Amino acid sequence: MTHKKSRLSSLSERRKRFAWLVPLADLRITLTLLSFSMVLIFVATLEQVRVGIRGAQAEFFESIYGIWHYPEQFWGGEFLNPLPIPIPGGYLLGALLILNLIAAFITRFQWTGKKMGIQFIHLGIIMLLIGQLATQAMQEESRMQINKGESKNYLERFHGVELAFIDVTDPRAEQVVAFSQGLLEQGGMHYTENLPFKIRVLEFGKNCEFNALPPVRKPSGLTAKVNRGVINTNNLEIFPKPEDFSSEGMNFAYVVFELLDGAESMGTWGAISHPAGNHWWAQINPKMGDLAFQPIRKNGRLWGATLRPEREYLPYSIELLGIANEFYQGTDIPFNFESEILLKMDQNQSRRALVYMNTPLRHEGKTFYQYQMNKAADYTVFQVVRNPSWLIPYIACILVSIGLLWQFSFHLARFLSKNSATSKSTA
Amino acid sequence: MQVSKFGNVLVMTAMLFLASCGENAEIRSYSAPNHYEGPVVTWELPKQWEENPVVSGMMAGSFHIKTETGPRGRIAVMPFRETVQTTSIINMFAQELGHSEYNQSSLQNLIQEKELGGRDFELIRLEDKDLSDQPPKNALLAIHRQESQTWLFPFIADRDLIDEQLSNFYDFLESTSLRSGKSQVRAISPSLPPSQSQTSPHEPTWEAPDHWERKPSTRMRIGNYTVSNATGESLDFSITSFPGKVGGILANVNRWLGQVDMDPTDEEGLNNFLSDRIIDEKPAKLVIAESEEQALYAAILFHNDRSWFLKLMGNLELARSEKENFLSLIDSFCLGDH
Repeated sequence: MTHKKSRLSSLSERRKRFAWLVPLADLRITLTLLSFSMVLIFVATLEQVRVGIRGAQAEFFESIYGIWHYPEQFWGGEFLNPLPIPIPGGYLLGALLILNLIAAFITRFQWTGKKMGIQFIHLGIIMLLIGQLATQAMQEESRMQINKGESKNYLERFHGVELAFIDVTDPRAEQVVAFSQGLLEQGGMHYTENLPFKIRVLEFGKNCEFNALPPVRKPSGLTAKVNRGVINTNNLEIFPKPEDFSSEGMNFAYVVFELLDGAESMGTWGAISHPAGNHWWAQINPKMGDLAFQPIRKNGRLWGATLRPEREYLPYSIELLGIANEFYQGTDIPFNFESEILLKMDQNQSRRALVYMNTPLRHEGKTFYQYQMNKAADYTVFQVVRNPSWLIPYIACILVSIGLLWQFSFHLARFLSKNSATSKSTA
Repeated sequence: MQVSKFGNVLVMTAMLFLASCGENAEIRSYSAPNHYEGPVVTWELPKQWEENPVVSGMMAGSFHIKTETGPRGRIAVMPFRETVQTTSIINMFAQELGHSEYNQSSLQNLIQEKELGGRDFELIRLEDKDLSDQPPKNALLAIHRQESQTWLFPFIADRDLIDEQLSNFYDFLESTSLRSGKSQVRAISPSLPPSQSQTSPHEPTWEAPDHWERKPSTRMRIGNYTVSNATGESLDFSITSFPGKVGGILANVNRWLGQVDMDPTDEEGLNNFLSDRIIDEKPAKLVIAESEEQALYAAILFHNDRSWFLKLMGNLELARSEKENFLSLIDSFCLGDH
């Protein structure tokens, strides 16, 4: 065992054992990847103006590659702009950098006390990269809007919708069956034993334009088949639209679906999701209010169909006790929003908290940031972030700091001892 | 061998990681506290019955009977927010079927009480006085009162079809589940005004169809709209209000008849144009008059020493196609005083 360990700790043994990793550990690969990372950041920053932060993030960082067009405004832009230039994406560069660093760690670094600082620094960098990838994959961002004096026990995702069927017949509890956006994108027939009908998804899109036609005109295109529900009674016509990635972008997702009782069609419905929550429909137009709940009756039960931002129910609720906002004197620029809340947990436990700018509420792995507020309408909106890998960057920074401290201390000690030896010999 | 295993594990891990970045395709089922505030109305339809896909503003549900000759008859579920007198409901239909107005005592002989599914219903059957149709048209009205709400189930069809479907109608009534909601019943009066100018709590509100073109209000016209079609025909719709009764119903109807090239009428003939209607939970009159080319649809409401007139007038064909919209609008009209 000791023999094996000493073999593994020897660099030449490791290089022989993991010979296939040696080419991947090349420093030139590291430098190339870092150069591409700089290009990626530069291009994504330019593209942010065109597609917004979320768009640039999705197109360049959360992808294997992105296609960039040289800006027309730059020198030679009129000739170069039509050329599609592939740019390696964040997932590709991140994965290759991790591989390169791990390979270097195994086949290039000496595992000795003398070089331990270097190892810590690189381990920290690997953790930073892994942490970023984990955050991309696992972080969830949601919103929670609460009216003053009311409690909420669910979050709504900023991006992503679900088609929910809600049975409200029992006054105490509603039974919900929700079809995720992934299923709606797949289309086709879906069935669950919790629903008394089957659903066939005919059309789905992340954004649309819609308008009400006069009764004499029949809608064409996406809603031509719709013969039941609000879209039908309001004679709404829907046109698909590309997703708006800008920070102010309002995406109205839509779905057209048919319900079937066995093989027999019950009708075709349409639904549109309001990006700020479906309760807004009734305020925009009372006739559209049913987009939050389109009644469907089956087997003596009342179901409501709605396309809404994806929901997550919490095992606790938050009551909004009060809100306050302060502005810089003589301006409309806010310098503080704060919400006083009561967090109600199981077994009648509760605690009061004040949530304001840069002072979020943390509870059960979720962080509630003060996001928006409407004093006139007496409601507050929290941005809720769940990031299971939030600790990784902190650990990585500690590792890098320890590494740097170790390496510098080691060199300093060696320099000092060398210096004192020189002084002694001179004396 | 060991090296290739390690490589495979690495590749698999990377693939799994990248796969986890995609969107989840799943069906989630769960239960949550019920926050639904609307009324819960459910039913089970007899096999021969079918739902009408388009339900107008007054109704929570609308059905017909499938027959070999096509859909026949009409059954509806109409919730009223508050207790409405049986006489008001019956007179809404009686007028249309050529009956004179009923009062409390004359109605007593018509009402039959029936218990269905442990609930009490009042049943009233009216037959059309006009016997030109054979078998004559009948209206079978079932009224159920529950927690200060009134639920009306009208079944309108020819006499034979009603007789044939009577047990299905009773089964349907028995199957209904009626739970009043915390919010008002939408079928009676939609809550929100259609335009920015109607924001005061004491101003009347209404819900106009989107394709009706709103024109600026005037001192006389609180609501002012034009409805036109592709071929250039148009309708004029106005909402006006005056103190007092401004001459009463007959004088106003005669004035309007003159505007659509029709001869004036007298007290007796007035009934040919009038029917009862509930607007904003108050008794009102509906005026329907059609000449060869023109039509006049109006609602008259007297309340708190004021008269309210909601009047649609113009091309006959266009008016007929807009009649449902006009009726929905007057059903949505709310004086804003409560």
